[in-house]
Amino acid sequence: MACPFQMGLQDATSPIMEELLHFHDHTLMIVFLISSLVLYIISTMLTTKLTHTSTMDAQEVETVWTILPAIILILIALPSLRILYMMDEINNPSLTVKTMGHQWYWSYEYTDYEDLNFDSYMIPTQELKPGELRLLEVDNRVVLPVEMTIRMLISSEDVLHSWAVPSLGLKTDAIPGRLNQTTLMAMRPGLYYGQCSEICGSNHSFMPIVLELVPLSYFEEWSASML
Amino acid sequence: MLCQILGQVKKHPSLIPVFVFIGAGGSGSVLYVLCLALFIQDVSWDRKSNPEPWNELGPNDQCKFYSVNVDYSKLKKEGPDF
Repeated sequence: MACPFQMGLQDATSPIMEELLHFHDHTLMIVFLISSLVLYIISTMLTTKLTHTSTMDAQEVETVWTILPAIILILIALPSLRILYMMDEINNPSLTVKTMGHQWYWSYEYTDYEDLNFDSYMIPTQELKPGELRLLEVDNRVVLPVEMTIRMLISSEDVLHSWAVPSLGLKTDAIPGRLNQTTLMAMRPGLYYGQCSEICGSNHSFMPIVLELVPLSYFEEWSASML
Repeated sequence: MLCQILGQVKKHPSLIPVFVFIGAGGSGSVLYVLCLALFIQDVSWDRKSNPEPWNELGPNDQCKFYSVNVDYSKLKKEGPDF
């Protein structure tokens, strides 16, 4: 979950998110280098007593500042495309879970083996127990087995929503009349929080998503108890 | 127009990298869009004779521009017939 005054991305829970974290670090480093270079040049330009009023052309520096940015852009684009293609790899999910966005809650359907459906409403601030997170907790969490590839099918029953879990690097729009698919693979057990990411009305900020990743035996017990 | 470009390049040789990168980028994007328009079966160009070309996709058709590790010729059809 996000912490107050957090500056970076949340800790990665899936391999793709780990790749995205490293890519973000790589690109941010390039951005910092360019910004500090520009800041340094601006400061030297403003504090020098030297003047040169007759610059006509500067062939060498023009070549450098054409080729260098092109190389930098290629150095950003290649890892980016690599991760993009990695996200689309076929990975044979072992479980399919459907989620439908409503105004203003999510409903989940586990229909691979039995017919398990439930709604997931946010717990109002007045009803929170001590230690629970404001605007993030829900009454029925999405329990999933850890270290297994899970296919999420996402759609909406009314308006646009978006099912997002930043820790797993997931954000998929829930569009009425359309079925979107994303795959989920968590490397460690725990609780992972997300919030609806597409404006959907007055309670758009109050329809969070909580994934509870547990070992497979716990998942089987839970799904048997929920039927 | 090519004569103009060559003339400018002779006078200012630092323009060569500019033209190389802009040329590569521009022609790359045009070629990619043409590739998508001609070979991807997501768009219906002819509403009378081929209104829904996405219905004719088989398991061996490659829709992605570049396939990393999936050999499309080896895939079999898993779902029921439409």
